[in-house]
Amino acid sequence: MMTKKSWNVIELLSKYKFWRNSVCTFSSSGEDSNITKQAVNVAQLETKEVGKAMKAYLERAREHDEFMKQQNYEFQVGKRHLANMMGEDPETFTQQDIDNAIEYLFPSGLYEKKARPHMRPPEEVFPQRKAAEFDETGRPHHFLFYTGNPNFYKLLYDIVEQINHLNKYEDSMLRKSNKPDPNLALHATGFQWLDQHTLEKKLVEEISEKNYNSFINAMERLQSLPYSYKAKEFISAYQKPLMSRTDLSDIPKLQYDKEGRAFITVYECRRKDAKGYVTIKSPGKGKVTINNNDIRYFHDVQSREQVVAYLDGDLNVFATGAGRARRVGH
Amino acid sequence: MMASRPILHLRYILPRINLKYSTAIQPSEVIEGKQETADLKHPDYFNVRNLFTVNDLFEARVHYGHKIGSLDERMSQYIYGNRLGHLIFDLDITAEYLRQALNITAHTAYRDGVILFFLRGAQNAHIVEKAALECGEFAHTRFWRGGIFTNANKQFGEATRLPDLCIFFNTLNNVLIQHTAIRDAAKMAIATIGVVDTNCNPNLITYPVPGNDDSPVAIQFYCKVFKSAILLGKEKRKEHHNRNKQ
Repeated sequence: MMTKKSWNVIELLSKYKFWRNSVCTFSSSGEDSNITKQAVNVAQLETKEVGKAMKAYLERAREHDEFMKQQNYEFQVGKRHLANMMGEDPETFTQQDIDNAIEYLFPSGLYEKKARPHMRPPEEVFPQRKAAEFDETGRPHHFLFYTGNPNFYKLLYDIVEQINHLNKYEDSMLRKSNKPDPNLALHATGFQWLDQHTLEKKLVEEISEKNYNSFINAMERLQSLPYSYKAKEFISAYQKPLMSRTDLSDIPKLQYDKEGRAFITVYECRRKDAKGYVTIKSPGKGKVTINNNDIRYFHDVQSREQVVAYLDGDLNVFATGAGRARRVGH
Repeated sequence: MMASRPILHLRYILPRINLKYSTAIQPSEVIEGKQETADLKHPDYFNVRNLFTVNDLFEARVHYGHKIGSLDERMSQYIYGNRLGHLIFDLDITAEYLRQALNITAHTAYRDGVILFFLRGAQNAHIVEKAALECGEFAHTRFWRGGIFTNANKQFGEATRLPDLCIFFNTLNNVLIQHTAIRDAAKMAIATIGVVDTNCNPNLITYPVPGNDDSPVAIQFYCKVFKSAILLGKEKRKEHHNRNKQ
């Protein structure tokens, strides 16, 4: 019953043009992705007809190239024109010069920077197009093509590969009764995962919030493994350091003056837009100097109290900037 | 309730199988015009029968079904019986169906068909994706957006070649709902192979393979044999190409 049915299907299939045509010669056309290289790939065929999908793609690619060529030409002309208006040499007119010229000629008070007038190369203005995702026979390059988000799901696949690899490594270390090196352990502080927008740009794909969350979960799982430092390179590709990172362990050392009194000067103390530098000496008699005045430099009691609150020695401050109350904060 | 032995008894099947394979047909290179091609009429051109034995199926725990209460009546012909309330597949039947499926897979790979692997479920998804990558084919183990087959031009933004064969390592999204891709593949006349457990409906699947679709060991086993079949097909294709070129 079953056998009969299946052979009939095969015979039917053999009548299809595609099945007949496909017995033909191969070519070693350039294969860029290493994904397909890993497997025995016999997909690149010299079929007599190029697939429908490829034909449509080639047509669209040609249109896009023509459009970009036109845009590029217009940009170059516009650039030269702008350089002449600004009285500069068009040959050495850089993008920075263009930005400055636009800012000068079209001043804008709009808060959002993206909304202000700009003039940039067309490659930056028009969204990048994905290259053809399939070969001449219409066979996709990426093994997760049919998911619709191949790059994103490949990333998840890679994370799982890393996790499996580290688990295996951990097992082998346990068998040797080795322990992970605590000095090499990865710290989550000071870094944050790439935000959704940056990740989308990196993968050239739209990512839903749900998918982004599963990416974060997978990465955190990977990072929490005891041997995660083995995959440091992979992890750090999806992290960015926090700019305002403060190392609390780095406390400046005390210095000593001629009389053997300890003192410390902290430069560039900031409180809002008030700036100053502060010297504390200890032991001292409680002498306070603020911009060559004594504590009466501050008029309110609250400010004065704040200055002497934890003071144990002499204080010497030079402060500038708006607002007396702010200066107290030093 | 499933109690007695299935209607389709092994003793009716075995003579037919023996008849088919006892003629000792050697794989022959049929010459079609000037070019060599795989013989579609040969019962086992790529020798996929030898990729596994019934004992391998047993060791991969393919014979475990679900509990009796969850039986889909359409699966009763593939079942050997039950033990302690759990259904057990007849592995002799499973082996034949699996060999048929492997044969069609190898033929599709030989003719440069696009083969797409499916599986829903986080536990086994990685195994399937890895197998697809290793044999240069495709995988979809994620949420199925409607219309990938039926509305492909809109979904991918351009004319797209659809797969020629879909292999489902499980056919259910959860315990109740069948994978939509099975229905869509049937609509688009794409051949399907599906591992169907005792609680599945095999009706829409072109080549059902009765067996356990939950254990990682079983999934690993299926991936291994289907990968080997695909590689056999591709290897043969390369070999024939080289010979035809000369």
